[in-house]
Amino acid sequence: MKIYESAVKKPVTTALIFVAIVVLGLFSYSKLSVDLYPKIELNAATVMTTYSGASAVDIELNVTKRLETSLSTVSDLKKITSVSKDNVSLITVEFEYGTNMDEAVNDIRSVLDMQRNFLPDDCESPVVLKFSSDMMPIAFISANADVSSKALYKILEEKVANPINRIDGVASTSISGAPQREIQISTDPQKMEAYKISIEQIANLVAMENRNVPAGTIDVGSETFSMRVDGEFKESDEIENLIVGSFMGRNIYIKDVATVKDTLKERSTEIYTNGQRGATIVVQKQSGANVVEIADKINKELPEIQKSLPPDVKLDMVLDTSEFIKDSIGSLTETVLLAGLFVMIVVLFFLGRWRATFIIILTIPVSLIAAFIYLMVTGNTLNIISLSSLSIAIGMVVDDAIVVLENITTHIERGSRPKDAAIYATNEVAVAVIASTLTIVAVFFPLTMVSGLAGIMFKQLGWIVTIIIVVSTIAALTLTPMLSSMMLREDPKRSKAFQFFYSPIEKFLNALDRWYENILRWSVNHRLMVMILAGLMFVSSLFLVARVGTDFFPSSDNSQIGITIELPVGARVEQARKMNTYLYETWREKYPEIEILQTSLGQADGANVFLSMRSSGTHIISYTAKLSDPKDRDRDIFEISDEIRKDLINIPEIYRYTVSPGGNQGMGMGTGGTTLEMDVLGFNFDDAETVARQVASVMENTEGLRDVKLSREDYMPQFQVQFDRQKLAMNGITMTAAATVVRNRINGIITTRFREDGEEYDIVVRNDQKFRTTIDDIKNILIYNAQGKAIRLSELGSVIESFAPPSIEHLDRERVIKVTGTVYDRSLGDIAADVEREVAKIDKPNLIAVEMSGAIEEQQESFSDMFTLLLLVVLLTYIVMAAQFESFRDPFIIMFSLPFAFTGVFTALWLTGTTLSLIALIGAVMLVGIVVKNGIVLIDYINLNKERGASVKRSVVSGGKSRLRPVLMTTLTTILGMLPMALGIGEGSEIWQPMGISIIGGLSLSTILTLVVIPTVYTSFHAGDIKKKRKAWAKMLKLNKAKA
Amino acid sequence: MKSLMIVYNQAHNALVQGALDKCDVRGFTKWNDVEGRGTKDGEPHYGTHAWPSKNMATLAVVEDSKLQELLAELKKINDSAQKQGLRAFVWEAESVI
Repeated sequence: MKIYESAVKKPVTTALIFVAIVVLGLFSYSKLSVDLYPKIELNAATVMTTYSGASAVDIELNVTKRLETSLSTVSDLKKITSVSKDNVSLITVEFEYGTNMDEAVNDIRSVLDMQRNFLPDDCESPVVLKFSSDMMPIAFISANADVSSKALYKILEEKVANPINRIDGVASTSISGAPQREIQISTDPQKMEAYKISIEQIANLVAMENRNVPAGTIDVGSETFSMRVDGEFKESDEIENLIVGSFMGRNIYIKDVATVKDTLKERSTEIYTNGQRGATIVVQKQSGANVVEIADKINKELPEIQKSLPPDVKLDMVLDTSEFIKDSIGSLTETVLLAGLFVMIVVLFFLGRWRATFIIILTIPVSLIAAFIYLMVTGNTLNIISLSSLSIAIGMVVDDAIVVLENITTHIERGSRPKDAAIYATNEVAVAVIASTLTIVAVFFPLTMVSGLAGIMFKQLGWIVTIIIVVSTIAALTLTPMLSSMMLREDPKRSKAFQFFYSPIEKFLNALDRWYENILRWSVNHRLMVMILAGLMFVSSLFLVARVGTDFFPSSDNSQIGITIELPVGARVEQARKMNTYLYETWREKYPEIEILQTSLGQADGANVFLSMRSSGTHIISYTAKLSDPKDRDRDIFEISDEIRKDLINIPEIYRYTVSPGGNQGMGMGTGGTTLEMDVLGFNFDDAETVARQVASVMENTEGLRDVKLSREDYMPQFQVQFDRQKLAMNGITMTAAATVVRNRINGIITTRFREDGEEYDIVVRNDQKFRTTIDDIKNILIYNAQGKAIRLSELGSVIESFAPPSIEHLDRERVIKVTGTVYDRSLGDIAADVEREVAKIDKPNLIAVEMSGAIEEQQESFSDMFTLLLLVVLLTYIVMAAQFESFRDPFIIMFSLPFAFTGVFTALWLTGTTLSLIALIGAVMLVGIVVKNGIVLIDYINLNKERGASVKRSVVSGGKSRLRPVLMTTLTTILGMLPMALGIGEGSEIWQPMGISIIGGLSLSTILTLVVIPTVYTSFHAGDIKKKRKAWAKMLKLNKAKA
Repeated sequence: MKSLMIVYNQAHNALVQGALDKCDVRGFTKWNDVEGRGTKDGEPHYGTHAWPSKNMATLAVVEDSKLQELLAELKKINDSAQKQGLRAFVWEAESVI
């Protein structure tokens, strides 16, 4: 018994199987967590090696180069980049997408183990750091305070950070911007000199005094007591009363030579929120935890937390990554529902029957819900990709059901009873239905095998559409006939009201049929003309290809702008503060769209790995601007960013700046702008720098590039103490000892910590601020030798002003200077072409090469992947069709609709001013499967007519006429299903807009042309069929006669 | 005793079975997939791509008394859907063992 026969004969089983699928799907849906993207494992690891005291060049030669050479043997390696700075070497090893990072890191470790012995002696062991997207902060909470600002750190730690840390899924919270408590012993070098006391002495004394010592146990009578000597300071006041030594018979207290302050740390990150100084709490999630869930919980807790705080402390959620996720998912859900509605209207329009419409529409929820089961079983999330896949599939799932139902209706009209009609009518079309499903599967299944970044993006899409389409076909072959047998009537009666509305539609459809028949008849008789016209159309569309720009990824508006401003290197933090106040005032006036402007400036305090990864310094100011909802404003982040750039360029104090729409810390994918990167490779510093500057000026003059900058930083101004080794030796002082003395005076020495309420605070001893502001202060530093003799630094060496060499970067083991620019309002492909042409003109010194990299490199890789995929897909669909028609010729005829699909894609992209991005290309690939479906339906029926004995022309005309409605219907459902996506309604859906546009454009044009061109081509190919048949017949007869 | 051969579109399967039951004809032999075409008009039934419908054939040996009633029933079925196709042929059954 065939599957549809059993389905019709066992309606209860059939119905319940689908009910089970729906229930299981809904259950899975309730368990699915929400995220922005499918889980992406970052494909890079960093090897950090510290070698104290080595300069950038030393590090490069002795550490970086050695490690790079051996690391390049690791398998699946994509590229190695490195930065060699003073004291530290950072090597980033990038792997191919989809590489198992655990294995990769193990490989790296074993390579490093082998190399360890060859590294310089003082060099520390290399550390491997693996980053994952989980390390990205999920929320920033800002805190402002008035009166409580001094105690802010403690308040935030106890009352905000700790409660948030207790929330399930939160990995860590860290506070930055709130200065931490510190006890400073600021010495007066002149008094110290007078009493012959050194900073080291004080530091050691404080450490010795501040100690609890367990002294063992003692038995008293029948009991045992433990002994303790508790010397730790109970109050910070105790410190100043410690006796450091004696001078002329008098005790010298610490307060005699220094001031002891229980205060806040000197240098730290300063954070301003809307111009007000405050602190930020950075929340990171545990790996695999659900962002939306955690953010919801934090948002729920915040009012409670706020209540427990002093009234002047205000908390604000500055960055909530879950908001964008929720908005995107929300708008996509809307898209899916809207698409469903459109599909329903189309079906009703063409069929004009409620029951039939209901039967067809029922396949939508059944097959879409089945996708949730897949997501749950494979541990995936509900994300942009999975939801978009639903939206893509929704217009296609009804196609099979439409074909089946249409045939059942025909049978019923011919007089079969619904039950028999359901079985035999389904039997007739089953093969065609399965074949057309296979063509769709032939397109989407290869997507699951794509590698690289595109692979991660489209794997889920491939699986989901494949599953949905297969389920929809099964439903069309079981559920649809079953329901038809139960619900369709032999003589459906339409109510008068319905008839009133529907009869004009019916008249229109009939007129359309006749009109099409006439066109078809004309074109079959004027085949050459039709084909020439079509050919011209295709060729002329090829000229559009050049006019449509290319991009890697369409960018979307996530309501965030990141801005980094650099003052000249070495500018004091006060300068930065002044600049910040000025900019805040200006921007608040100019851009009312900015809701929250968060600034951080000053040296990072290193409390948080993430924050300390960002470059920081007294001269760097970084902003994160959070804008209002995209619907509530006219300007998008790109326009506003460009305005901000114009503001910044007019401020002479600013050395350079970067404005990144989408935010500084974006994962880069799909949000914000793209960048163009030119790599200048070459060993010679000066030559490379000269070329890099030329490249930079080319890029600055290229239309559409902003924020052009070199990766090699400017030389840092510094004071250098140069000791004379001979003088040092004469005084019995080693270089290290002398250097340590300098460090202790300026940077300070921490030997012990003050404990209070379970918290520890540093006790720092160093020269008072006013004794470390000039070169003379440094020259006057006293250095004691082993004999206790004090010698001034100026006698041992000199202090000179100099510039520190920049860090040295490598790309695949070669020195490189990266010149980067942000793309604004122009397609990446055009810019890249312009830059490449101009850069080629630059006169390059020997051994210096310029290469393009960054997004354009990824773009080229993915584009070539896509073209391979396109070829594969075309081949697969041809195979599927050839198998169905058992002919090489017919699928070839159907393939004629493909060029027009691409004509449509380019026309639509050109008309809407959209660039050809990876997403648009995927749309084009999908089109292959969708477009040939129309051809299959058409050719299948024409073949049928021919086999029934009609002449070729008559077969074509009558076949075309009878298939017009099904073709239009399935096409319209697909097009209207994509429409909400192409319109790009809602936050985050802009990414998918190009796909919607290209599919709608390609499908509309190719369908219109397919309806005329394919029958015409078919007629030409099959015109001689009857003659051939007669000849073959005659030949056979002759052969038989000869034998006889 | 008459032999009655009914050749009909598969779609009539249930109806023919019903007619036999109604007229109390117990014995019959049935071929599920048979092909053929009508003498005058109507679509061929080949089970091919072009002519996907198929026929069934039922051979029953009927008492003379039941024959007319059964033929009337079958005619009713045929009239209900002319295009599906149903034909019945009658000849003498000489002996039955």
